[in-house]
Amino acid sequence: MNNATEAPANNLQPGGAKKEGSYADRVHVLYAKTLDLVSHAVIVTMSIGYVLYLTELLPLGIPIETLAANWNLSAADMQARLHQPSGWSFLTNPGGLLQGDIVSYMSVILLALATLFCLAVAVTVYFREKKPLFFTIALGQFLVLVVAASGIVAAGR
Amino acid sequence: MKHSASIVHRMLPALIVLGMVTLMTPAEAFCAAAPASAGAPWWIWVVGLFVFSFILGIVAVLGGVGGGVLFVPIVSSFFPFHLDYVRGAGLLVALAGSLAAGPPLLRKGLADLKLGLPMALIGSVSSIAGAIVGLLLPAREIQLMLGIVVLGVTVIMITSGKSGYPAVRKQDSLSRILQLSGVYYEEFSRHEVSWQAHRTPVAMLLFFVIGFIGGMFGLGAGFANVPVYNLLMGVPLKVSVATSGLVLSINGSAAAWVYIFNGAVLPLITVPSIAGMMIGSKIGAKLLPKVNTKTIRMTVIAILALSGIRSLLKGLGI
Repeated sequence: MNNATEAPANNLQPGGAKKEGSYADRVHVLYAKTLDLVSHAVIVTMSIGYVLYLTELLPLGIPIETLAANWNLSAADMQARLHQPSGWSFLTNPGGLLQGDIVSYMSVILLALATLFCLAVAVTVYFREKKPLFFTIALGQFLVLVVAASGIVAAGR
Repeated sequence: MKHSASIVHRMLPALIVLGMVTLMTPAEAFCAAAPASAGAPWWIWVVGLFVFSFILGIVAVLGGVGGGVLFVPIVSSFFPFHLDYVRGAGLLVALAGSLAAGPPLLRKGLADLKLGLPMALIGSVSSIAGAIVGLLLPAREIQLMLGIVVLGVTVIMITSGKSGYPAVRKQDSLSRILQLSGVYYEEFSRHEVSWQAHRTPVAMLLFFVIGFIGGMFGLGAGFANVPVYNLLMGVPLKVSVATSGLVLSINGSAAAWVYIFNGAVLPLITVPSIAGMMIGSKIGAKLLPKVNTKTIRMTVIAILALSGIRSLLKGLGI
């Protein structure tokens, strides 16, 4: 039954404040640490990438005006017309990786990968702590995201 | 800060009325020609998207809803971008928001991996399926269905209650196997709260459906995750909200890859949406104790209903 009880004294700091992490086990603390690190990296990368994109400090693969003139088209139609980056196609981009739009695109890819990094940590911790049930669930979740990120199941129009 | 909060508080009704008038204005008034961007420089739309996402971030926090559920129907109705890019951006907006909020909630024991991972495993598979189906169907049909879903969300928000500390007398067997129980510290009342979950199989089925809908329409599905955890499974509200964010980050990530591989993620649209929403959410969180959230919540529900009707009409070609 869900209920409320007095907090044990050893979980309280002087003044009654709660120790952060006292109710979070090792896997939660490490997951949070990874998430913190990755989300900060995403924010920094995204900001730098977007500034490089809009200011055109780096050359662009597709000019912004051209993209904007076609953003009313479906993704499939725009893809056929402009060949904008999709999936991991930027890795083989003819203009290389140092293009403003590609750098900005890579920051979005990093955002999509963030959860995968955190799950990798959870899988490792559950394995080391010999928790087979949670190891299996976390590994299953990790593999679902790996499959999604591989593009194997990304059939569209 | 106090002064600015007071100004925002005074301006809020006017902003809300303006928002409602805007919502009822035909989309053609905003984007008369196709391509819509032909009439206005591209940067006006990008700046407009940032400002809109910023306001949405504030309103969403004050109204107690996730930004994603408001973002997709409104942006797809009033901005010239194709629905594909709006859904892609919507998923990444919801993903970014849940990632940013995650670390403190995990450290406090509110976001629970044991509770989140099994549901996310089911939801992420169905969200990938939903995203694939969503990208296969014509945009007009998706817009029509989006209108219906958003109106359904409005009904859920009006009718579903909340329970701070639901009573669960006995765990079901699956809940026991998955160890769906825990303890967290309630800072407000300075008490430990222990909880356990029940009705796990039904909840898993619902998470499958929620994941599919979230992936198909690019919505963060906190509006549905929280009631399932809280009202169905009997998980305390704070744990439900925090764990819902965890599930949302995993499901959103899975579905986002489908959009990424189909070229439906444009940084030009996605990045200002994420930035606006995150900055707005932070300001909204600061304003939260100073404004009447009940009135704002009702207004957000009204905006949601209007944007649902707007999507429905757009889907019908009206």
